[in-house]
Amino acid sequence: MAALLRGVRAGRALRGLSSVVAAPTATTPQCSSLSRGFHRAAPRLQDDFKSDKPPPSSSSTTFHEHYQAHSAEQDNTATASHEGAAAEQASRPNTSYQDQSGEQGEEYETEEQLQARILTAALEFVPLHGWSMEAIASGAETLGLSSASTGMFNNGAGDLVLHFITQCNSQLTEILAEQHKQVQLGQAEPKATADFLRDAVETRLRMYIPYIESWPQAMSILLLPHNIPDSLKHLSTLVDDIWYYAGDRSTDMNWYTKRAALTGIYNTTELVMLQDSSPDFEDTWNFLDNRIQDVVNMASTAKQVQSTGEAVVQGLMGAAFTLKNLTGLNQRR
Amino acid sequence: MQRAAHTAVCVVAPAMIRRCLKCRVPLQVNSRAYSVVPTPRDSEEKDMLDRILRVDHAGEYGANRIYAGQMAVLGRSRTGPLIQQMWDQEKKHLQKFNEILAENRVRPTALLPFWNVAGFVLGASTALLGKEGAMACTVAVEESISEHYNSQIRALMEKDPERYTELLQVIKEFRDEEMEHHDTGLEHDAETVPGYWLLKNAIQLGCRAAIYVSERV
Repeated sequence: MAALLRGVRAGRALRGLSSVVAAPTATTPQCSSLSRGFHRAAPRLQDDFKSDKPPPSSSSTTFHEHYQAHSAEQDNTATASHEGAAAEQASRPNTSYQDQSGEQGEEYETEEQLQARILTAALEFVPLHGWSMEAIASGAETLGLSSASTGMFNNGAGDLVLHFITQCNSQLTEILAEQHKQVQLGQAEPKATADFLRDAVETRLRMYIPYIESWPQAMSILLLPHNIPDSLKHLSTLVDDIWYYAGDRSTDMNWYTKRAALTGIYNTTELVMLQDSSPDFEDTWNFLDNRIQDVVNMASTAKQVQSTGEAVVQGLMGAAFTLKNLTGLNQRR
Repeated sequence: MQRAAHTAVCVVAPAMIRRCLKCRVPLQVNSRAYSVVPTPRDSEEKDMLDRILRVDHAGEYGANRIYAGQMAVLGRSRTGPLIQQMWDQEKKHLQKFNEILAENRVRPTALLPFWNVAGFVLGASTALLGKEGAMACTVAVEESISEHYNSQIRALMEKDPERYTELLQVIKEFRDEEMEHHDTGLEHDAETVPGYWLLKNAIQLGCRAAIYVSERV
């Protein structure tokens, strides 16, 4: 029965996402499936409160949250709708008391995954409604849920923006990992650090292009005090990932200076991009190029200063030694 | 079978593509088959391992600088070769931790420049008290470090000795070498320095504070 449902769902997925509440479970009228969805949502909400030891993969660790978006994306394309137990790949041990009854041993979707799916669906309404609860409500409706499910999102638009950021970061990490693999397999040439950084930041910023009109609003949402810790965390993860794939393996102060430099470059380029009206954001990429060049120059200047300093010290020591010789202080009497 | 792999919890691959197995993105194979630190299963474990590795790295870095300070003063005296020998072992330890940190993407402590200066100053100033002073400093520091390694070993053993076998091996090896340094220090008249008790306790207090801070910052 479960297998049949899954096969049916897969077939439906192939036919496209639009018909969310679709024919194959044709005997089920639309409203009852909606109410089933609701009933399912309700125990899941209680789930999070009641189960004291949530199943490991639905634990709200930062690890998992970081990739919720990505898994939600995958889930989105794999499952056409929420109805029936969602075809989540993870068959976690079902430790919740609530869901044991209704699910008949099928995998269930956690609240986080449901939230992720709603937020992903909401992204297509952002150009229309901006980063707001309306977009989330519209997203929920395309999934066949009532717009009242926006009640799940305590942080409102902040949740949407953070979800989008997480998604973009995962995509970038994937792309970088893929490139890294290509280089390791010898199928591609390793890029110079400056080029690598430029490409990585450009790739990442290009993900904002579809939402560039409303991005100032998103940035101001990220600057709200309760969102700052999360947005900083995402930014630092992003920069750490980029440097890791650029080949940085430093374990001293360089670790900090490199990341600080890249954070500065990234933030300023983002701001430039907001008010850039050149075709395909050429000005932004030029700006990015120049900033990276600046940092590279600064690094080489620092090295030069250091070696000059060392040479000067050597010279002084030599001079002091010569003086000692001349004044006879070096001789033992 | 693939299902089983996908049902695994978010795993962080040793080569640190942080990727949920569920997401079906290929895991990057670590170029080194042998990895000292096991891949953390969740962010709690990652935090714990990060803290352990960070403070150990800071400790070896500090010890390095202490010996450098001692060598700067006593390098040309009779105890020079002895201090050099101990310093070389510390350099090896530091290198090992550098490798481990890089491999596991652990953030080094932000206080490294401070330990750089503080270690050198400590080494140099105790060496100015003479060879006995340098040895007393060595005894105090090595005792602190050994205690610290022991408590880490205890913590890891309590959690899961099998999982952390290689890491435990590394820490045990380093702890044994630090104890050797400690004993060497005692053999070379560390206790004869005037104010030994005061010096030793002051240095150990400083070490404990350094360890506490390096774990967190």
